[in-house]
Amino acid sequence: MATKKKGLLKVIILGDTGVGKTSLMNQFVNRKFSGQYKATIGADFLTKEIMVDDRVVTMQIWDTAGQERFQSLGVAFYRGADCCVLVFDVTLPNTFKSLDSWRDEFLVQACPRDPENFPFVVLGNKIDLGNAAVPSKRAERWCQSKNNIPYFETSAKDATNVEQAFQAIAKNALAQESEQDLYNEFPDQIKLTGDSNRFNNNDAGCSC
Amino acid sequence: MTILTQKRGNNHFATLALSEKGDVTRRRFGKVGPCALDYSKTRTPDQYWNDPPADELVQRHRISSGHTTPPSCRKTPINYRRTLHAVSSEDNTRQNPVSTKDYVESLHQNSRAALLYGKNNVLVLPKDMKEPIPGYLSLHQTATSLIIKWTPNELMNGYVEESQDKSVLWDYALNVNFSDVVYVHCHQQGEENGGTVILVGQDGVQRPPIHFPRGGHLLQFLTCLENGLLPHGQLDPPLWSQRGKGKVFPKLRRRGGRPIKSRIEDTDEESVDYVFQIINKMSHREFLLEQGLIDPESWSNSAHHMASCVQRAQLLSSSTTSSSSSKSISLEKAATCSLKEDTVFNENLPSPKSQKSASGESLNTVCETMKKQILSRAFYGWLAYCRHLKTVRTHLSGLVNVKIMDGEGASEGLTKEVWESLRLDDGSICFEEEIFRRTYYGAIAHSIRKEVWPFLLGHYKFSSTTKEREELDRTTKQYYETTMTEWLAVEAIVRQKDKEIMAANIAKLSSESTSGEPVPLTPGLANDISNDVFEDDVSITSDGEPPIFDENEQLSPVVEEKSLDFSSDADHKGECTTKLENGNENHVINDDLPVKESDSGRMSQCDSPDEGVGEEEESDDDNVIACNKPTAEKINNESKQSTAVVITTNPSQDSGNQSEISLGSRSSCSRLKSFLEDEKDSADGLGDCLQEGQRSNCISPASSQGGVYSGEILEQFGVNVHRIDKDVQRCDRNYWYFNIDNLEKLRNVMCTYIWEHLDIGYMQGMCDLVAPLLVIFDDESMAYACFCRLMDRLSVNFPHSGEAMDMHFANMRSLIQILDPELFELMDKNRDYTHFFFCYRWFLLDFKRELLYDDVFIVWEIIWSAKYVSSAHFYLFFALALVETYRDIIIGNQMEFTEIIKFFNDMAERHNAKAVLNLARNLVVQLHSMIEDQLSTSSTTSSEKL
Repeated sequence: MATKKKGLLKVIILGDTGVGKTSLMNQFVNRKFSGQYKATIGADFLTKEIMVDDRVVTMQIWDTAGQERFQSLGVAFYRGADCCVLVFDVTLPNTFKSLDSWRDEFLVQACPRDPENFPFVVLGNKIDLGNAAVPSKRAERWCQSKNNIPYFETSAKDATNVEQAFQAIAKNALAQESEQDLYNEFPDQIKLTGDSNRFNNNDAGCSC
Repeated sequence: MTILTQKRGNNHFATLALSEKGDVTRRRFGKVGPCALDYSKTRTPDQYWNDPPADELVQRHRISSGHTTPPSCRKTPINYRRTLHAVSSEDNTRQNPVSTKDYVESLHQNSRAALLYGKNNVLVLPKDMKEPIPGYLSLHQTATSLIIKWTPNELMNGYVEESQDKSVLWDYALNVNFSDVVYVHCHQQGEENGGTVILVGQDGVQRPPIHFPRGGHLLQFLTCLENGLLPHGQLDPPLWSQRGKGKVFPKLRRRGGRPIKSRIEDTDEESVDYVFQIINKMSHREFLLEQGLIDPESWSNSAHHMASCVQRAQLLSSSTTSSSSSKSISLEKAATCSLKEDTVFNENLPSPKSQKSASGESLNTVCETMKKQILSRAFYGWLAYCRHLKTVRTHLSGLVNVKIMDGEGASEGLTKEVWESLRLDDGSICFEEEIFRRTYYGAIAHSIRKEVWPFLLGHYKFSSTTKEREELDRTTKQYYETTMTEWLAVEAIVRQKDKEIMAANIAKLSSESTSGEPVPLTPGLANDISNDVFEDDVSITSDGEPPIFDENEQLSPVVEEKSLDFSSDADHKGECTTKLENGNENHVINDDLPVKESDSGRMSQCDSPDEGVGEEEESDDDNVIACNKPTAEKINNESKQSTAVVITTNPSQDSGNQSEISLGSRSSCSRLKSFLEDEKDSADGLGDCLQEGQRSNCISPASSQGGVYSGEILEQFGVNVHRIDKDVQRCDRNYWYFNIDNLEKLRNVMCTYIWEHLDIGYMQGMCDLVAPLLVIFDDESMAYACFCRLMDRLSVNFPHSGEAMDMHFANMRSLIQILDPELFELMDKNRDYTHFFFCYRWFLLDFKRELLYDDVFIVWEIIWSAKYVSSAHFYLFFALALVETYRDIIIGNQMEFTEIIKFFNDMAERHNAKAVLNLARNLVVQLHSMIEDQLSTSSTTSSEKL
């Protein structure tokens, strides 16, 4: 069992191939944009410490392959996620259209405790290209229909809105995590009392 | 020992980490307020880094470990050793459990002693007491002895009346090792008494009588006692039969099936006394003989076994003398530790009596026990080792060839001179083994790779003559070109269709912004419109689309249909001409195709999205206008007018025509053999068809509905083309070879392969596999042919085409288990194959992303030749070598699998490929010798009963 470090937020970035998942992650973590990224094979992640509401948290951002035939491989990485970032390319309506299936796929694979309220954030990337084919209104409407998912229009190239978007991601993830912590600590306590019970029994000497 | 080292390593890392992230830690745990916020602002962005990057880990490792031992020398081959050490170290910390609590705890089941029997409120009458006092009776079994304990309840509860002295109670407590007991007297007096047991020691001293409560407790106790004695001794059965005068003990009879038979006679008397002798002198050997566990001969050879065990361990740990001696030492140590354990246990007993009997004789006994212990440990170690080897055989013997060619004189590799000397006059190649061998041990000179690779990949046969190969080249080329014309035609249709849908969607989207109705977008569509969105330079698509969009928006909803056609037309023109130009460049369609030639003129100006690198920033309109060709102009003009819709009318003849021919050609292309004969004709026909097809496509969007290719194929290929476009333009754009033209070649090869393998479909990563081939051959058809050969082996690795990847992971797991147990234990903490996910990209792309191009060439050709030299699964050993190269860092930092993934992702293209290759070759040999050794010993062991 992988022990979950305190203050570690696991964030998964999903979206069609070529929408800029790797670029967004690198823009946020390294504040760099490169035209040289290759198609992601498998999965990779970067970490970054940020401040959220006076708290230092480490974000572990998982970048995944965009081709859906790789999805099944990502299952192991979806688990334990605190937030899921859905990315599409504002110039390609199709990438927006597949958000539905990415969202469903994530919920099915990651099995979050409370799927209805699991924090998602939607990023419409590449607004720097200036030829958006997906109107903001349309994206916002979709987000509203999915339990008010926050929506940001970003540019990984110009760093537009990237910082703000990831702050929101961290915030939402944190809210999710604190809820989970309540659940997570409970079994530990039971375990402790279980131990002491056994101890007491033995002390009483009735182990027959 | 292992555990200790690991712990130490961990602490070390923790200290490092702390000192590094001290600020963070302080802030995290300290009071966080405005000050902290201010402070955090002084941190530069790179200080935010939490996990040390891979090079830092490597660097730290270099500093902290003065020298790096090759991983093969650091093996701890047999796991049982570790367990023993773990136990012994635990014992050392628990030498003096003097407190009551410790003592009480020692009465429970623990790591050193198994609790066989426990009963409270058993009465014991201590010597100078008049009334028996109740206490807790328990029977403990350690590895070597059986101990009976009785503790007064007052001590158990930790409650002592003030009047009583605690030490008195301690004196009352019983603590007897059964090795000191000779007789067990049992008295049963009437119903009201459960029975009394008196233990008589070797010195004749009687222990205080133990009174069991009623209800069969005595019998239970005896049963447990008998069980507990079993490995080293037993209750003497003759005493049973002598004493058992009747069926006084009906309950005893219930224990039928016990190895010790008690002959109980039928008598009705109730109260009977028994005396059981405890036979404790039986040697381990006799016991084993009796149990039929071993045959005498093998036992007498036990020393030899132990030696051979050591010997094998030595082989296992790469045949260094130091490791073998440490191995044997550790074996002895293990045995000693277990003895010490017993001694410690005895010494800990509060009762002084148990030690009184330590006479000369018992010293002898101790020595005997030690001997037995050592031998039995060795025996069990050997047994574990045999099982271990069985795992090797089952899982891994298929991974290496039966015989490994040696590398003598092959280290300089396959040079040009050698290569030429091996070529006969007719061009055929002799001594192919020598070629494989030299490649495996020394790689191929870069200048001749182009010639040699087709042989290694199996495209050329070594026995073929120059002429035959030329013929093959010609056939391959023609086949490739035919295939290409096919998919180019289909692509044109696909593009056409896309435009239609795209335009419709855009129109709907724009209208939706007013109406508010969500519009379903059609799948597989828009991807092609802007492929190079990653580029710094905005390419034509981004420039070209918006005007169309705007125009659409200006159009009234009624005009939607028209605008749709119009936009698709305008865009489509550029698309199909792109394809044609490529064909032309590669002499695919040659002079038969006037249209293509004419198109090629404007091609260079048409900044097709597919070209991806987007250096030109001309607008679409400019391009089109720049075209001199009448067709283009015509289309252009037409499309400029909103009346362009006219063209959509029915070119049904054209489309029908085209589709028929296309279909024919598709079926013909699957018959490569017959291809040669009628190639000329069919090529012409294809040319015509293409010409017509292109024309009709360019002119008429309606053709997209009239194709004979099923909609399924169209859609399938369309989806794949979009994906290919996305990846091609991202593929190795930082490598000098891949300029626009060569990326186009890459795209052609990829599309051709996918057209031929639509069932497999394009998957991310395939481009990476084509790229190095294209770099070497710089020839599309050759790269295509060799890629097909390469995919014969690698296609199973791609998702959904097989379980191959899982198998690789399983093999990696077994290999690490066998060759590096310490690392294995760390990695196996989560028993989940995803732990080997960090190898995923390695296997999928044959390490192409892990290494620089020059190294990729070397590793690839070695993997190909290894099949004939040492192992058809050399990639596994290379992967293992990669892991082993950094195993100290992985272990030292106790990396979790996510950290390992990150580490190796960070290390991509920074490995010392030569060193890793050497290690990989060594690992093959190592596994090979293990398996050989196992095979030779298995014949020996099969004669022994195990």
